[in-house]
This record gives sequence, C-alpha cells and structure tokens, in this order.
Amino acid sequence: MIERRPLSRLAGDEARNEAPPLDVRFIRVPSIAERKLGSDYVAPMRLDPRVLEQMQTTIRELETKYADSLKSQIAMLQVLVEPACRGDKEARERFYMLAHDMRGLAGTFGYAIVGQFADSLCRYVEHSRDGDWRDGTVVNFHVDAIRDAFENPGTDPAITMETLNALDRLIGSDINGNGSQRKSG
Amino acid sequence: MNKDPTRADEDLFRRLKILVVEDSLEMQRLLVALLESMGVVHIAVARDGEKGLAAFAARRPDIIITDGAMVPMDGYEMTRRIRAAEAGGNANPDVPILMISGHAGRENVTHARDQGVTDYLTKPLSADTLYEAIVAAVSKPVHFLDKPGYRGLSPKRSLDARRS
Repeated sequence: MIERRPLSRLAGDEARNEAPPLDVRFIRVPSIAERKLGSDYVAPMRLDPRVLEQMQTTIRELETKYADSLKSQIAMLQVLVEPACRGDKEARERFYMLAHDMRGLAGTFGYAIVGQFADSLCRYVEHSRDGDWRDGTVVNFHVDAIRDAFENPGTDPAITMETLNALDRLIGSDINGNGSQRKSG
Repeated sequence: MNKDPTRADEDLFRRLKILVVEDSLEMQRLLVALLESMGVVHIAVARDGEKGLAAFAARRPDIIITDGAMVPMDGYEMTRRIRAAEAGGNANPDVPILMISGHAGRENVTHARDQGVTDYLTKPLSADTLYEAIVAAVSKPVHFLDKPGYRGLSPKRSLDARRS
C-alpha cells in the first residue's frame, strides 16, 4: 500500500546541493479513492452538481428547525447576560458557548448578520477581563444586536455594516490596548 | 477505468467511513445530514477530542472531520495525538483530518497545520466548501516524511483556510 520513493532527479542543482540525508524518506500513500476502488480509478475532481443541490436542499430542510433553536438560544443569551456580567462563572461559560454556536452555524442557515454579531461577541469575550464583563455595555449591545438581526432581517445592510465596523474598532482598540494583560476565554 | 464519474462517486462515498468530532449538537446534525446527502452511510460521531481518539482507534475511519474548540480535549490536541510519534504503531500520519473552526486567523491555521491537520475549513460552513474538501481528501494521495524521530506530513507545507 505504501510506496517509498527516491529523491526526485528533476529538481535541479538546488536539490543536488542540499539533498536530504539518506535516512529521510518521502512516502506516498495512495489516495482513498485508489485504495477503495483500485489503482486504475481516476478520482472525481469535479463536483457533481446533483450532489451539491441535494446538500443545499438538506440545509434548507434544516433551516426551520434551526430557526426555532436560534430563537431559544437568543432568549437564553438574554437570560444569561445579567448573571454573566455579575460574575457568575457558569453563566459566562454557557453564554460564550451559545455565542460560539451562533458564530458557527447562523451563517450557514441564512442568518449571516446574526453570525457576524456573534463572531464579534465571541472575539470580545475571548479577550475580556472581569471589568469588561462587569461594565457590561459592549456585551449587552451585542446581545441586543443579535436579537434585532434575528427579529428584523430586513434591516438596512449599510447600518448593519456600520455597526459591525464600529464594534470592530471598539473591540480592536480595547484588545490592543490591554492585550498583554488579558487572558484567553 | 471507470467511465462514469457520478456512479463512481456514489460507490466511493458509500464505502467511506467518516468520523465527525463535534461538541455542538446542531453542528453534528448538520454535518451528518450533509454527509448523508453525499451518499456517505458509515458515519460515527464523537463529542470531544478524547472520545474522538477512542472512536478513531475502534473504527479506523477513512476521514476525520473535527471541530477546533472543544472540552476537555480540543481538535488540535486530538490531531496531535493521532499523528504523534509516541503513539508508536498507532501513529497515523496519513488519515485526512479536516478541521472546521470559527477561528479564521492565520495563527489558528498555522497551529492546526503544525498539529497535522490536513485541511482547514472556516465557519460558517457551506455545502460546496464541505463537498470540495471531502473530494480533495479522497482524491489526493498523501505524501509524508519519514525520518528518525519524525513520521508525518511535512511541517513546512502550506495550508490555507477554505472560506465559504
């Protein structure tokens, strides 16, 4: 299954001058397609549009279920934000996990703006100190923005982008200004 | 030689064994559904890196799809252990490991590469990004380095994040 190959002789002077030591070997393992279907199999390099369409249909079918789940997650964020800002460690962890899930999934299911605000919130939390939580302004702003983006998907994209850029600047300067003293969340 | 690439794909995907390591139930559901849409039927799921290692040892999947951030063991550490020389005969330098992460920064991609990740996909995930990555993982032969004290993918290889 494994092929051991000598060094290429086509690499030119550079390779000859800096040839690796003799006890270094480059090993080629055949592709999974070759192993499963035989060595004469030409692996499919082009995507099959029918498979892609089926995958996109699958995402659409999951969208409704995800929308319900996202609604519950946002409601839970609103519940958790107050104890999290007060210093409840478990609430902070659950709050971050919810935001992390939104960052990862909302965009896939058509809630791109929710995902972007969740991403911004995660980056803020990952670099936050206790004082940032206790102040709560930025965290609460993010929660409101996430809820608004979910409930009002038709909001002017220019306003959304302006808000996101403002948050980026705020978070960026905050992190840069205190980065050496902060710990990752 | 097979003249019908679509049927060949179906046959190949039916034979694939894929391990999904992911702590989010929503993301697990999405990944499994997308893989099933591709025709993959042998799918195992583990909810963190520790359970992923156990599932890898028990099932010997052809491909691993893993999240980055998980507790108690994340996807980076799981990958390092799968590739690790200290694992002796159990070290696996060639199984494709596709990491899906919300962290798109260069330092995260480099860290993933250094642990032995094959391909790095950023969230939010799209159908075509996942499909492309799976097709690349099954089609490309793997080249790795074998020298005293090291057996694995070249540490100097380039790895760029796939973005949806």
